[in-house]
Amino acid sequence: MNPFKNWHSETSAAPLAVYRICFGLLMLFSTVRFISKGWVTSLYIEPKFHFSYQGFDWLPYPSEFGIWTLFILLIITSLFITLGFLYRFSTILFFLSFSFVELLDKANYLNHYYFVSLVAFLLIFISSHRMFSLDRFFGLVKSSTQARLWEIRILQFQISVVYFFAGIAKIEADWLLNAQPLKYWLHTANHISFFGDLLKQDWVAYLFSWVGCIYDLTIVLFLVMQKTRKAAYFAVITFHLTTWLLFPIGVFPWVMMAATTIFFSIQFHEQLLQFLSRFLRRTKLNNESKNGYFNKTMINVFLITFISFQILTPLRFILYEGDLFWTENGYRFSWRVMLMEKTATSNFYVIDNSTNTELEVNNADFLTKNQEKMMAAQPDMILQYSQFLKNEFTDTIINRFGHELNVSTPEIQAEIFVTLNGRPHQEYVSKGIDLSTITMNENPYNWLEKFND
Amino acid sequence: MKQLSILLISIFAIVGCKKPPEVTDFDRGAMLTDMSSSIIQPAYDKMSTSLTSLKLKSVNFNASPTLTTLNEIKTAFNQAYLDFEACKMLNFGSMDDYGIVGAMNTYPIDSNKINSNISNGNYTLGAVDNIQAIGLPTVDFLLYHKSELEIITEFTINTEAANRKTYLFDICEKMENEFNLVLNEWNTSKVGFAESNGNDIGSSTSLLFNAFVKDLELIKNAKIGIPAGYQTAGETLPHYVESFYSAQSIDLAVANLNALKNVFNGGELIGFDDYIRDVEGGTVENSLADNINAQFDAAIAATNAINNPFSDQVDANAAAVLEAFNEVKALLTYIKTDMSSILGLLITFQDNDGD
Repeated sequence: MNPFKNWHSETSAAPLAVYRICFGLLMLFSTVRFISKGWVTSLYIEPKFHFSYQGFDWLPYPSEFGIWTLFILLIITSLFITLGFLYRFSTILFFLSFSFVELLDKANYLNHYYFVSLVAFLLIFISSHRMFSLDRFFGLVKSSTQARLWEIRILQFQISVVYFFAGIAKIEADWLLNAQPLKYWLHTANHISFFGDLLKQDWVAYLFSWVGCIYDLTIVLFLVMQKTRKAAYFAVITFHLTTWLLFPIGVFPWVMMAATTIFFSIQFHEQLLQFLSRFLRRTKLNNESKNGYFNKTMINVFLITFISFQILTPLRFILYEGDLFWTENGYRFSWRVMLMEKTATSNFYVIDNSTNTELEVNNADFLTKNQEKMMAAQPDMILQYSQFLKNEFTDTIINRFGHELNVSTPEIQAEIFVTLNGRPHQEYVSKGIDLSTITMNENPYNWLEKFND
Repeated sequence: MKQLSILLISIFAIVGCKKPPEVTDFDRGAMLTDMSSSIIQPAYDKMSTSLTSLKLKSVNFNASPTLTTLNEIKTAFNQAYLDFEACKMLNFGSMDDYGIVGAMNTYPIDSNKINSNISNGNYTLGAVDNIQAIGLPTVDFLLYHKSELEIITEFTINTEAANRKTYLFDICEKMENEFNLVLNEWNTSKVGFAESNGNDIGSSTSLLFNAFVKDLELIKNAKIGIPAGYQTAGETLPHYVESFYSAQSIDLAVANLNALKNVFNGGELIGFDDYIRDVEGGTVENSLADNINAQFDAAIAATNAINNPFSDQVDANAAAVLEAFNEVKALLTYIKTDMSSILGLLITFQDNDGD
């Protein structure tokens, strides 16, 4: 039996067109919002040092002009995607620009950016421009109201992965038994007078934690079943609006509210398009089916690879030793959302034994506040920063308060304290270890202090 | 959906049955109102009063420079410096806009610059290159850099006596004028201060907290670390102590720490300590608030264990100095790690998803 057999059957292309338009509009909004908040400058132009991703450190860091070009490309391509104009070209360019921007600095990593990258990648292969698009209007693509089932299913799969792993990740003691970090977050988030003291109640934190976990684990099931779909989507809206009101999580709630519409019935999407087309020039839709660019085997291989990758990536932490929250080895790209309140204070030292010199580094000289916050609690970034400091201080003469200090071959040491989900702070990195000699692949992280739960 | 709702209702019921812990009536707005009336207002008022007094004493001293008037202005100066230590952590809003902390307390001074300003009799005190020739450290220099009789001579017989008098007055008047601007603006903005009761960046709680952290960092680095040589590979810098000439560095540092502790506790009223206890919900064995207060005491005790003049102690009593530095550093760890985490005070405007 081939589970992918049905995936090649025909279905309506309406859900894809709606999805494409929603995605394009949201990306347009999100990019404009990003620019208008001044984050292009503060996150991508101001920082002097950039935390590259392992395996992507060969990527050149663009000039200021280059950064702006990328963001303008994002605006243009998301507009083109919305309109279904030069679709393949636009999706490829959007995917590349967006992912490139995300890969520039892992201090800016957000799960929903990763989600956007993945959806953009999938859209390249999905022909969501077959109807309701400028490409069709200009005859750049053969019009068709038919799509292949896999094109819809893979998008549904992607959303299921997000929710499912987010739910699995919540099955752990801090979240379920201590209602942390939500207990503290809700308590301090009570700026909305309507909720007032309600959010300070312990039981509310437990309720939110448990409901959040159950929601993540089950929502896809309820969205799939036709009988429960309406109620489930109501839950989607309630859930994400609540998080949007309470926490500074940006466009993520809107991304999820838009993305889950892919579970709606074909009739819904067709009616929606019909409604929209009243405002457009009517053109007759062609019902003829269309062969895709790729043959079935290629598609099968692609889908199996993609699906395996999506299932295995969040599970890779199993291979690593140590507590995941402590080492964060395998934490990113795993849909661990809102799971952890981890704050650290770090002091870095440049120590040159040959000249008997010890200097405390002022992190603000090299990192933005956000970078410093992210770096101090994430081991791989601590090592990257140490490596950077080593290069920065090797063979230098530093003038401090009129005193010249010679540094030739420095060690980089640090003293870092971390608090995790409301626990009292513990030593994370202790002074005495030359962090600049430790390689990123060293596992387990013996240079970290042990986690005392 | 039915199953889900049953599940939800039962969770509601299970969790709801647990007797809810007592919810205190803490609210950030009330804390800010208290901070405003019992900490900020008195600190600004005292600062303004003592700067006025300092200016008046400079007028008296200039009119007749005697041992009596010199001691009077010294007393006024010492008081002003102590009052400054109690308001420098309230460095937000107009106080921050006017750069009061830098203008009033940049040290070490540049004696060449001060002397050339006095000789020339022509200067713009607000100019960037005069930053080490103004403020309390410059008054410290003018009143204390020589024996009392020599100081009086400088202000009487010396050929530049008239210029020196003008300079002393100008320095004192500048501080008074600028601080009165702060006080006036505070009086119109304090209602807004108490009303900005969110916990996002730019909210009053966040401003208060960030200025608090910055000031504590200044104690660690500017007051102790730099003169003790921790930033110059062990080479001590005695000239970099606060109040080098009047040698009251330790009193000032202790006053600063006490004032920070007072802000933390909101004086006798609602403060960060109550906020922390409220978030903890009374379920924690050792409240973070208690730990922080204990660490404040440890830092104050360790600082107090050092004698004046601090400029000698950085070499003569290095162990005690290191001890004080480490206690302040430990306090900073509590504040920057545990306190900022539990109160969820954001450091940037950016989106996050909590990872």
